[in-house]
Amino acid sequence: MKKQILAIALLLVATGVFAQEFKLAKTSGKLMISEVNNVTIEGYDGKEIVFSSMDGAREKDKRAEGLRAISAMGLEDNTGIGLSVKDNGNTVEVYQMKKMDGPKVKILVPKGVSILYSHSSPYGNSVKFRNVSNEIEISTVHNSVHLDNVTGPLMVKTVHGSIDVIFGTTINNPISIVSVHGAVDVTLPATTKANLAMSTSWGEMFVDPAIKIEFDGQGEWKKYGSNKVNGKLNGGGLEMQLSSTHNNIYLRKK
Amino acid sequence: MNMDQEKLSGMIIDYIDGKLNEADKQLIEQELVKNAEAYKLYEQLKELIQVMDQSKKIEPSEKLKQKFDAFLQAEIDLEQKSKTVFFTPAWYRAAAAVALLVVGGGVGYWISQQNQQHAELLALQKEMKETRRLVLAQMNNDQSASQRMLGVMAAYESVQTDRPDDEIVDALVTTMNTDGNSNVRLAAIEALSKFTEEEKVRKALVQSLSAQKDPVVQIALIQLLVQMKEKEAVKSFERIIDDEQSLPAVKDEAHAGIFKLS
Repeated sequence: MKKQILAIALLLVATGVFAQEFKLAKTSGKLMISEVNNVTIEGYDGKEIVFSSMDGAREKDKRAEGLRAISAMGLEDNTGIGLSVKDNGNTVEVYQMKKMDGPKVKILVPKGVSILYSHSSPYGNSVKFRNVSNEIEISTVHNSVHLDNVTGPLMVKTVHGSIDVIFGTTINNPISIVSVHGAVDVTLPATTKANLAMSTSWGEMFVDPAIKIEFDGQGEWKKYGSNKVNGKLNGGGLEMQLSSTHNNIYLRKK
Repeated sequence: MNMDQEKLSGMIIDYIDGKLNEADKQLIEQELVKNAEAYKLYEQLKELIQVMDQSKKIEPSEKLKQKFDAFLQAEIDLEQKSKTVFFTPAWYRAAAAVALLVVGGGVGYWISQQNQQHAELLALQKEMKETRRLVLAQMNNDQSASQRMLGVMAAYESVQTDRPDDEIVDALVTTMNTDGNSNVRLAAIEALSKFTEEEKVRKALVQSLSAQKDPVVQIALIQLLVQMKEKEAVKSFERIIDDEQSLPAVKDEAHAGIFKLS
């Protein structure tokens, strides 16, 4: 047992050693991440945005030594980890050099920086956010979205991906989570005060029994092929919109 | 000398009472001696005065006194009442003055009330303008999509269904067509669904469909146009079905829309 732990620890240290990093001092403004296929974003208490590759020691292309990587978008890999990072002062733009695949990236983001993630190519997998207590804006076509211990404001939209959100203890106004084909799965404290609007055309809605919805008048149940619920949680408060056109909505208690 | 009767009786009374000076006293004594009638009068008066002096000593009974006091009080009361009546015209004048004051004050109050209402109306208009300015500014916040969404929601709240504010409606249409965030565009569509009675809004919604590229927004728009029973939208639905770029889910929604509208 002890040996195993040591082995894991060694592995972690090794990964830490080989992980390449790129840092950018920033405590406010907006981080705009585009078309990065495989990324985990974490909030932390630091003063710089830290980009790191999780791929470990990558095979170096000997032929590419002394050359710089460029792309059709006119981007340059200025990070050494396959990302192009452009600092515009109030905004920071991040692009991936390769169209397909690409590096496995982790980005640490200071608390004061808001985050915009957009992805439209079919080559992505999923995007993960953890411990982010600032505004998150996500727009994807194919990617699924996983948000864990976030506060919002949240503006999340996917076409094909599912959206999983686990809120922290506080939630900031507004919350808008929309998917066309994916499931919307939200976990929040039972004490959350919200004006809830849930809608699905072809899916179903499932709610934890501990979450009491005070319905505003009658929902438009009679509308053919559409199912819309407007109600208040704990007397109402922040605006929360959950929608999945073709899939289900799940509302869980934390 | 022949004194007249009245003066004589008066002097005789005074004589009996001992109130005459020496000269008058001698005069009366001479008269009484000379005049038999005067003496007779003297005798009668003397008797009367004696009776009166005796009667002075008779106190009126307690009951009588009370009766008298009551009577007196009644008289006094009557007198006082008549006094009130006496002042009536003055009271009327006072009342008239008071009434004038009240009416004058009332008119003044009414005028000031009107002014106040006018001022309140102006303040309200100013407040509405300010609200509108804030809402429009919030809808234009290019740093934060969530702020723009809150702006759209505030715009929705600030305008009444039957009295759409042109500036707000125009701003919502602009947001629906050009905002970079799909969730915000969705919110704008949701807000505009409040004003679907307006021809201008219906037109804007129909036109917007051909401009929208995000499936999420396309589907929401198709659903709203179907709900509005907007037959004009059928052509746009057909274009979406013919467009190879359209997502199958959007085409499905458009097909369903055509089915429901025709």
